[in-house]
Amino acid sequence: MGNFRFNLLVCAGTGCVSNNSFKVKAALEREIEKHKLQEEIQVVTTGCNGFCANGPIVVVKPDDIFYQLLTEEQIPHLVEEHFLKGRPVEKLMYTPSKGGAPIPKMSDIPFFGKQQLIALANRGLIDPENIDEYIALGGYQALSKALTEMTPEQVIEEIKASGLRGRGGAGFPTGKKWEFCRDASSAKAGSARDGGAGTSPSAQERTSGLALKYIICNADEGDPGAFMDRSIVESDPHALLEGMLIGAYAIGAGQGIIYIRGEYPLALERLNQALEQARDYGLLGEEILGSDFNFDISVSKGAGAFVCGEETSLIGSLEGKLPEPRVRPPYPAQSGYMGKPTNINNVETWANVPHIIKRGADWYSSIGTETSKGTKVFSLVGKVNNTGLVEVPMGITMREIVFDIGGGIPDGKKFKAVQTGGPSGGCIPESLLDTPVDYESLTQAGSIMGSGGMIVMDENNCMVEVARYFVSFTQEESCGKCSPCREGTWHMMNILDNITQGKGQEGDIELLEKIGKHIKETALCGLGNTAPNPVLTTIRYFRDEYEAHIRDKRCPAGVCKALITYSIDPQNCTGCTACAKNCPVECISGERKQTHVIDQQKCIKCGMCDSVCNFDAVRIE
Amino acid sequence: MAKITIDGKELEFDEGLTILEAAKKLQIKIPTLCYNEHLSPYGGCRICLVEAATRAAPERSRLVPACTAPAEDGMIVVTDSDHVLDSRRFIIELLLSRCPESEQIREMAAEMGVGPDSSNLDVVGHYLLHRAPKRESTNCILCSLCVRVCQQIPQRFALSLKERGIGRKVTPPFERVAESCIGCGSCAYVCPTKTITIEEAS
Amino acid sequence: MKLKPEDLDKIRERMKSTARLREAEGKAKINVHLGTCGIASGAREVLHAFLKLVDETGGEDVIVTTSGCAGLCKREPMATVEIAGEAPVKYVDLDPDKAKKIFEEHIKGGNIVKEYALAVGSERLG
Repeated sequence: MGNFRFNLLVCAGTGCVSNNSFKVKAALEREIEKHKLQEEIQVVTTGCNGFCANGPIVVVKPDDIFYQLLTEEQIPHLVEEHFLKGRPVEKLMYTPSKGGAPIPKMSDIPFFGKQQLIALANRGLIDPENIDEYIALGGYQALSKALTEMTPEQVIEEIKASGLRGRGGAGFPTGKKWEFCRDASSAKAGSARDGGAGTSPSAQERTSGLALKYIICNADEGDPGAFMDRSIVESDPHALLEGMLIGAYAIGAGQGIIYIRGEYPLALERLNQALEQARDYGLLGEEILGSDFNFDISVSKGAGAFVCGEETSLIGSLEGKLPEPRVRPPYPAQSGYMGKPTNINNVETWANVPHIIKRGADWYSSIGTETSKGTKVFSLVGKVNNTGLVEVPMGITMREIVFDIGGGIPDGKKFKAVQTGGPSGGCIPESLLDTPVDYESLTQAGSIMGSGGMIVMDENNCMVEVARYFVSFTQEESCGKCSPCREGTWHMMNILDNITQGKGQEGDIELLEKIGKHIKETALCGLGNTAPNPVLTTIRYFRDEYEAHIRDKRCPAGVCKALITYSIDPQNCTGCTACAKNCPVECISGERKQTHVIDQQKCIKCGMCDSVCNFDAVRIE
Repeated sequence: MAKITIDGKELEFDEGLTILEAAKKLQIKIPTLCYNEHLSPYGGCRICLVEAATRAAPERSRLVPACTAPAEDGMIVVTDSDHVLDSRRFIIELLLSRCPESEQIREMAAEMGVGPDSSNLDVVGHYLLHRAPKRESTNCILCSLCVRVCQQIPQRFALSLKERGIGRKVTPPFERVAESCIGCGSCAYVCPTKTITIEEAS
Repeated sequence: MKLKPEDLDKIRERMKSTARLREAEGKAKINVHLGTCGIASGAREVLHAFLKLVDETGGEDVIVTTSGCAGLCKREPMATVEIAGEAPVKYVDLDPDKAKKIFEEHIKGGNIVKEYALAVGSERLG
C-alpha cells in the first residue's frame, strides 16, 4: 500500500452532507489531481465528527489540523497553500467565539480536547463504508479475544465488573441483564431442540425459523433532537456489530435484530453495507472466526412511534402487533421476541462492549464515578456556541460541558437552564450547574440522564413553553393503552396550552403538580411515568415564570405569543421602512424617516420586524 | 407454600397467582374494569392499583396493578390506604371526565364518593369534572376486553385498536363490518360500559 | 473470504500505514519543511526520499509530514526530526543521500547526525 503523506478526512455525517461536504470532497479531489498530488494525499470520507454546527469539516492527518465551515470555493486556495506550499490556512480554522487566535490542532480545540472517546472512538477517523479501516484501528480484535480466549460466562463477568449500565436511559446494569437472559431457559414451545442456556445454536435450529434466544439493538432513538445513536451507526457501524456479536456469544443468542427508526436513511444505508461486508468476511454467519459460534443480524425499520423505544412495545412492533407495552412479568429476558428469551440494549451500550473486552473491566471502571462508570455521549444543542455531539467521562460537571466544551452561551446572553433526558427529563437551573453528570445525581436534581439529550436554554427561553412543548410531544406519542397517560397527559397539555395563551387560572400550578404526581405513580410504562417530569421540574425551579403567566398574563422571556406585544421604540426607530416592507401581514405603517407603528390588532407576533431591524428598535414585552 | 398478607389477612398459596386472584381467595374486593378472569390480563385501566411491599423492604411500597402483578412470598399488600384510594379516585375521575354519560362509570365513581356534584372534590377532581374541555361523547373506556375476547375465545380477530393516544378507538378492520365476525356477541357480553350492542342485520 | 483470527492480524498489517496516519501516534516524526524556498531548492525530492525509506523498511512508527517554511531559507531544504520524548532536531542543507543517512543513523539508530544538524531543540530567545 502506497505511503500517503496526508490523509484528508472529510466528514460525511448527515449534518455535513446536508451542507455539501460531498461537493467539498469532490473539489479536494479535483485540485489534488490538478497539482498531481494523488500519490501523496488520500481523501477519505468519515462519519460524523460531532462538531456539527461547524461543518463541512476536514481534518488533516497526521498533523491533526482542523478545518471547518468549508465551501467548495475555498478549496483551490486551501490545497495550494497547505498541501503544495506547506502553509496551513488560518482563516479556515476554528476560532474561539470569545475571540483570539485560530486553533489549528483538533486536540487543542476545547470542544474536542476535553472529550474522552470510547463509543465514538473511531468517529471522524475511518471510512465507515470500509471494514478494513475498522479492522486497521483494532476492530474485531475484541471479538477474536472473546471467541478464542474467553468463555461466555467470563465475558459476562467482565461486563459486570466494568460497571457498564444501559445507555438508553434506564441505566440498568448491562452485565446483570445479560446474565438474566443467559440463564433463561428457552426450552419452551417453538424450539425443535431443547437448548437450555449457553448452547450455541446450530444451523439446524435456524432452519426451524426460530433462534433459541435473541438479542436486539434498540436504535429507535425517539427523543426529539437526539442523534447519539444515529452518529454511532453512521460513523462506526462495525462498533455496534462487534458489540452485538460479543453479546450474542455471551448470552447464547443465535439471531440479532437491529430496530432502527425509519427516519435515518443514511444510517440505514451504512448499516446494511457494514452487515454485507461483515458477512463477506465471515464475521456474521456460521462458524465465525473458525469457532463454533453462529450468529447473524437482520434489520427492521421503525414506523414513527416514540413508544417503540420502550422495549416491550418494540418487540410488539417487530412481531407485527400493536406497539404497546406488555404485562411484565414475564420480562423480555425470560419471554421476549416470539416468546423467546431476548436481551435488548441501546446502540451506545453495544458500542462500549468491544472496548471493555479489549482493554478490560479495570480500565473501564477507572473512568467515571462510583456508581456510573465509563463515558456517556451527549448531544449538546440549543443556546450554546459549540453545538454537536460530545462524549465525556461520567462525573464531569454540567458547567464544564456547557461552558468549557460548549463554549458558553452565544450573543452574550445569560444561561438559564439545561434540559436533559428529552421528554422524560427535566431542567437543571444555574444553581445546580456544578452537578456531576451521573445517573444518581441527575435523578436527585429532578431530571434524568436519559439517552443523552442536552438542550441549553438562555434568558429567551420560556420555561412554561418548554414544558408545554414536551408534554404535547408525549401526548401525541402516548400509545393510549393506560388511562393515566392517555387521558392525564391530554389534560396537562390543555392546562399548559391555556397558561401560555393567557387563560391560566389561580390554582393551575397546584393542579399541574397534583396531576403530574398521579400520572407518574399510576402510568403503565416509562413514557407515562416520566411525561410529567418537564412540567414538575420547571415548576420546581421556575415557578415565578408560571406565576407571571397566570397572574400577570405576562411571558417574562418574551416567547408566548398571546402574552407578548411587539412595539416600535421611537427613540431608536430611524424610519428605514425595513420592518414595514417585510411584515407578512402588512401591519406596520409609517413614512420614510418617521417612527413606524405596529397595528396590534393585525400583528401575528411572527418576529419578522425584529429580525430585519438594524437599529434595535423593536420591543418585545 | 408461599404466604402473602393483604390488608392484614394472611393467605398461603401456590406460586402462579396474581395479587387480584389471591385477594379473591381472601374475599377482599378490588375494583377492576379491564379485567376478565377468562382472558389474558391487560393492566390498562389502572383502577386495580394497590400498594405492595416485599418482606425485604417493607417501607418501600409501590403501586402495582393487582390484575397482573404476581403474588410473591412475603409480600405485604394494602388495598385501602389513603394512597391507594387517592390514586383510584384519580383514575375514576379521568374515566368519568372521558365518559360522563356512562351509567356504569358513574356508579363506580359514586361508590368511591366521586361525582360532578360531590362536595369533596379536590382541585384535580374539580378540574376533570368541571373545567376540562368537552369531547365527543363516548362510553368506551378503551379497556380492550372486546378486542381480547374476539382474539381469544371465538378467535375471529374482528376487532382491533386503531390510532394511538387520545384518539385511540376500537374498530373492525377499515371501520367496516368485519367479514370474520360471526355475531357471537362475546364483545357485547364483556363490555363493562355496554358500549357495544348487538343488532339484527337487516 | 471467511476470516480466521490470524487474518485479522494480516489485515491490520496491510493497513498499518493508514492506521499510523490516522492515529498519528508515531515514535518518530520527520517534518520536511516545504516553503517556497524549500520547494525551490529540492525539498520535494528530500520528502520523497524519506517516504520511500519509510515504505521500504516498513517503519511503522515513523510519520512523515510537511509544514511550511521554518524560517531559515538560506539553509533549505530543511527537515525537523522528532523522536518521542526527545527534543526536536533541525537538519539543514539536505538532499536525498543525506536523508538516507539521517534515517538510518538517527531514526533507526537513535544517534543524531551532528554534521547535518543545525540545532537541537526549539528556538531560544536572546
